[in-house]
Amino acid sequence: MQPGYFPANVLFILIFVAANAFFLFTAYKLYRILRLGKPEDRFDRTSERIKSVVTFVLGQRRVIREPAGWGHFFIFWGFVIITIGSIETFGVGIYHGFAYWKFLGKGLTNVLYLLQDLFCTAVVVALCVALYRRFVVKPERLRYEDQKATNQDACIIIGLILVLILLLFGARAAEYLLAQGEANRYFPRLAFVSVAFSRLFAGLTKEGLQAWYSICWWGHTVVILGFLIYIPFSKHLHLLGAIPNVFFRRLGSVGELSKMDLEDETAETYGISTIEEFTWKQLLDLYACTECGRCSDNCPATLTGKPLSPKLTIHHLKEHLQAKGKMLLAQQGAAEAASVNPEGELVKALIGDICQHDELWSCTTCGNCMEHCPVFIEHVDKYVDMRRYLVLMESNFSPEVQNVMRNWETNSNPWGLGFATRGDWAEGLPVKTLAEDSQVEYLYYVGCAGSFDERAKKISSALVTLLNEAGVSFGILGAEEKCCGETARRLGNEYLFQSMATELVEIINSYGVKKIITACPHGYNSLKNEYPQFGAKWEVYHHSEFLATLLRDGQLQPQQTMNKNLVFHDSCYLGRYNDLYEEPRTLLKSIRGLKLSEMERSRNKSFCCGAGGGRMWMEETLGDQKINDARTDQALKLEPDIIGVCCPFCTTMFEDGLKTCDMDEEVKVYDIAEILAETVTSEKE
Amino acid sequence: MNIVVLVKQVPDTETKIKIGADGKSIETSEIKWVMNPYDEYAVEAALRLQDSVGASVTILSMGPERTVESIRTALAMGADTGVLVDDPATEGSDGLGKAKVLAAALKSLEFDLVFCGHRAVDSDENQVGIMVAELAGIPHLGLAVSAEVTDGKVKVQRPIEGAKVTMEAILPALVTFGGAHAVWNPRYASLPGIMKAKKKPLETKTLADLGLSADEVGAQAAKVSVTAMEMPQERQPGRKLEGDTVEKAKELTRLLHEEAKVI
Ligand code: SF4
Ligand code: SF4
Repeated sequence: MQPGYFPANVLFILIFVAANAFFLFTAYKLYRILRLGKPEDRFDRTSERIKSVVTFVLGQRRVIREPAGWGHFFIFWGFVIITIGSIETFGVGIYHGFAYWKFLGKGLTNVLYLLQDLFCTAVVVALCVALYRRFVVKPERLRYEDQKATNQDACIIIGLILVLILLLFGARAAEYLLAQGEANRYFPRLAFVSVAFSRLFAGLTKEGLQAWYSICWWGHTVVILGFLIYIPFSKHLHLLGAIPNVFFRRLGSVGELSKMDLEDETAETYGISTIEEFTWKQLLDLYACTECGRCSDNCPATLTGKPLSPKLTIHHLKEHLQAKGKMLLAQQGAAEAASVNPEGELVKALIGDICQHDELWSCTTCGNCMEHCPVFIEHVDKYVDMRRYLVLMESNFSPEVQNVMRNWETNSNPWGLGFATRGDWAEGLPVKTLAEDSQVEYLYYVGCAGSFDERAKKISSALVTLLNEAGVSFGILGAEEKCCGETARRLGNEYLFQSMATELVEIINSYGVKKIITACPHGYNSLKNEYPQFGAKWEVYHHSEFLATLLRDGQLQPQQTMNKNLVFHDSCYLGRYNDLYEEPRTLLKSIRGLKLSEMERSRNKSFCCGAGGGRMWMEETLGDQKINDARTDQALKLEPDIIGVCCPFCTTMFEDGLKTCDMDEEVKVYDIAEILAETVTSEKE
Repeated sequence: MNIVVLVKQVPDTETKIKIGADGKSIETSEIKWVMNPYDEYAVEAALRLQDSVGASVTILSMGPERTVESIRTALAMGADTGVLVDDPATEGSDGLGKAKVLAAALKSLEFDLVFCGHRAVDSDENQVGIMVAELAGIPHLGLAVSAEVTDGKVKVQRPIEGAKVTMEAILPALVTFGGAHAVWNPRYASLPGIMKAKKKPLETKTLADLGLSADEVGAQAAKVSVTAMEMPQERQPGRKLEGDTVEKAKELTRLLHEEAKVI
């Protein structure tokens, strides 16, 4: 069956068409399953989207953040190059005389073949490393409950690619020998690996070579087509899902939650309780997962033994989607409906069977999973969407959470302290309320912690000192201030959040405020990135960036030396959510004598303090360690005098962590504003 | 089965209370009003019976217009209808006056059970529920922490020193509820509940509608009245003693002797 001659070419065309048809059929089914999802607009900013595909797919930027990612880089590009080569291979299958050199010229073909040889070799090396990792190193992140199936899947894929490449080299080697001395045949000699392989066939007759060539060619072709068929059924579904997923990724602020339409009188349910209620983009996420495990490797919940692993969440959702999606599609086509088994997947509850309650409530919304996912899967809004269902529809949450929600409702702060006392912290301090003077340039939005928490009040007064020192014109809302509602939103209580947000926007706008400073990363992210959903148009500054500017402009000058070792902790909502890594560091570096040390998990790898996503208000009873204790341990490894933070909630979490290990006398937790206020001495004094 | 729950709107316990200019009442301008927590337990108890035996639950309250908010809260939790007696002539009523109004309003309602908190956390008089039972001529069970209905009887449990008693009464009856938030964990209204509550029937009545005249209730008819209010003394901040244990002990004895004069 010499390829390209009758009847081999007819057979090839049949196989080729059948394989492609099968693949397209499966792909179309997957597409239809996606379409079960709700609409979502991700079609804006096309040029930015194309750019991100270039950077993150072609450039593999996030993949190669880790050493193991380089293996993927070569496999990916090897794949692309092999695919280019496959077109020639398939061409030969139809007509034996087909060859690239006839179109591209010999020079270019040489380059192409050389590249192919190089990348194929690199792929073989990368695959061997991959096998070594999976079976010898066994990193935690590659673990799944159905380990056998997962390993089997990996082996099939790796095996197929290896066989495919070896057969390609075999075919090339035979081709090279056959081309010797034939006028109408040509083989690019630059393909030195293929040439080297030809030694295997040394001394064979022309017929022998021809036979080997046919065997290798057919083998290679069949494996490629087999691969095509196998892709959608394996974790290599990501070959189809990843590229569109990168294209359609969220371009605005990370972890921004959708604004629910609560006015809609026809709505029967709120939040998400079935897989098909997710949007198509949320479902596309599931197809894109490569099962690399980087998300869980960085997840504070997973790392402290909570029943939450973002990798597994995505994996479970994906399996459920595929199984249930098929059934839903069958139901749509009445003819097939009879074959649908009403038991099984259709009766599985998204919350309870597929995702567990503790799983949803364990998430701190720290965003570490999303930050490290090479294909930009968005985990957090899925957890929040399901929490929304539990809260809004079923009022199903722990008593602590219920308590804190009532506190917000009656007094607009999580502690439930009297709303009229909100401004009391500022009594006796040189700060006016907007009611007293609304002509100020900045509103200092203090937030609940800064207003009510004894510890955080000190941060507020330090900031007041600094702002006055720098001559900034600012005021506070005092008793008129309200909670920003961020935590209520992340706990799933969108109704409460929206009513709080509407109120706060109204009060702030009533004073014609244009610029806002805040010392709370949660309020900051909320006012800056989510309040525009409610008609807010303000410039919002976190105190770290604002103070850094004041320092740069010389409006503040640290005078005192502070001979201390400080470990800085990046807050999730400052760093990952808002890309403010440098500003607090600039500020700390401006202080003479202060030695700044970095934890292993710092900047975009920063490990959550455990307070986010409403976890601040919940008991932490699951797992083998509390998240704040784990983070405190990480900081203590560097033997600091001070743990430097940027957030009132981080302050609480670290102070609790230090108390747990009885280090609260030796090590102190300070907000950067407190540290700066300590070193900036007023000339007047 | 019909249950009427008596609900009072009171200042939130965290509200900063200021005494009014007359020295006998509180300033109401900066107050956050909420449903009396014990009444909320009564609502929860009624809704549990709604779930288990299919009772229909009516909320009855008296007070100015703002009281509607607390009734709506109970409707959002799941109660079926609401009645508010809103008449300026009721202002200044003592416990008995309020009980008269509520008992009169009860007459126009069908009920097998009347539930309410054993006291309201504002004036803490522990009277109205019992008086309503008396005026309506029905038995009263006090300080319940559970309520069940079987065979035309209501059975409740009440904690007593170190034990619990179980009591029952023939319907119709009035039960006042005690316990604490952790005992009852009153349900948190769901969003559909809140939406539906906006459309549930809520009737407003005046004294005339109830067949009462203004001089039977309100300040003139009150037999009990508040004569003065004063704020508790501000607590002195705590003091931390410095030094080693011996020094601290010495200083402590000195303070207890000289300042506190207790030893
Ligand atoms: S947001 Fe943080 S806590 Fe939640 S799943 Fe992702 S990494 Fe884990
Ligand atoms: S969600 Fe992203 S990071 Fe997590 S396993 Fe899948 S591809 Fe990897």
